[in-house]
Amino acid sequence: MFKLLKTVIKTGEATKKYPFAPLEVCEDFRGKPELDAEQCLSCGACTRACPANALIMETDVKTGTRRWELSMARCIYCGRCEEVCPTKAITLSQNFELAVTRKEDLYEEAVFSLADCCQCGRPFVARKLLEYVLDTLAQSGVTGEQLKLRRQQLETCPECRRSNNMLDSENISHLRYLEEEL
Amino acid sequence: MKGIKQLVGTAHTQTVPVAQAPNSQQLKDALIKQIRRSAYVYRVDCGGCNGCEIEIFAATTPVFDTERFGIKVVASPRHADILLFTGAVTRAMRAPALRAYEAAPDPKIVVSYGACGCDGGIFHDLYCVWGGTDKIVPVDVYIPGCPPTPAATIYGFAVALGLLDQKLHAKTHQPEVQKASLKHTGIPLDIKVMIERQARLLAGYVQGQRIADEVMDVLATCSADNVDSKIAAYLTKKDDPRLTEIVNILLSQTMEALTGLSGCSNSTGEKVKPREVTADE
Repeated sequence: MFKLLKTVIKTGEATKKYPFAPLEVCEDFRGKPELDAEQCLSCGACTRACPANALIMETDVKTGTRRWELSMARCIYCGRCEEVCPTKAITLSQNFELAVTRKEDLYEEAVFSLADCCQCGRPFVARKLLEYVLDTLAQSGVTGEQLKLRRQQLETCPECRRSNNMLDSENISHLRYLEEEL
Repeated sequence: MKGIKQLVGTAHTQTVPVAQAPNSQQLKDALIKQIRRSAYVYRVDCGGCNGCEIEIFAATTPVFDTERFGIKVVASPRHADILLFTGAVTRAMRAPALRAYEAAPDPKIVVSYGACGCDGGIFHDLYCVWGGTDKIVPVDVYIPGCPPTPAATIYGFAVALGLLDQKLHAKTHQPEVQKASLKHTGIPLDIKVMIERQARLLAGYVQGQRIADEVMDVLATCSADNVDSKIAAYLTKKDDPRLTEIVNILLSQTMEALTGLSGCSNSTGEKVKPREVTADE
């Protein structure tokens, strides 16, 4: 009997104090995904990676915006979005207190703008993604005239680029296959 | 039949939750006032993976111990004040779930538990799934998570009983800045990509990226003569043999890429033997 009591006292209280005291969670705890909208490129890598389709991206060409939406209801807190994010814009925080009474509160969204094609004026790519690619090119050593050329290329939508290539006679070699034969 | 519209057009795929009595909110408020001391929970499994059940069990057992607040899991819906719906509501479990809902005495608080219960979770687009408790019954509290941790469960119960306020609110980001900042601009891009790729290969995506970021932060502050000492200081601070191994591999590969030679000194000071260059390299 005394032995048992001794063990009990030695063990102390195992119950967590949680609702009265904040709970300590481990460093790698995967709680609510937090978006840093300033860093987000709206590249859509997270929406591709999300196994539960909790992350959605909708492109609206008419208004030239791209909407990112996270449904905390559907999210399975796996952290795949954090893994794939190229700019670390999305991180899983330690916040686990997510219970709500209204379902609308479980949704989080962000609106990003699209860049227009420099020829036809049609929005075709996320502006921040374009700038990020150009910055990366600049960092990799592309400078001056080359960078300007690249910027012009990248600011053209694929359709305009294709028609440019077709109309630019220098790019067309009618005799290519014949020359190869010879 | 309850919850199903007539089979005309595509309307039959639309769901209609059970209608609530007009005075149900008043009754619920009265119930919450009355059951301050003890709330009985009946767990309705609508076709879940059992993960949520395990976490509910963890919440009722000594470490989290919901019974200290009087929250008790009961065996019959007829005793229940709170109905806890888990699972994505499969076609087969819809009718039993509705029976459990009917069997519970009014007023009852319905809690939707887990990602599947809230919105169908990863099963949301399956053919045999209704996708969420709110498709069949009116829900009072949603507890998201896959599965929710016992602490999140306790918090959810507290929200359901009106003891704690909800902290999460709908949010719309309107980013001001139109440019994302690049990281580690002090390091040549090909070296940066090499370090990141190798670190991810060695330690996985999340940890590898973290290690690569830390190493590159250290490298950015270094000059040619104090690289070894700074890295050694970083490694002793972390004191992790696995990290030491990975960082040494990263550094030797970086040196190889920078100088075209293998054979940099690693943090312990000993020289790595130069690899023999074969003819086809």
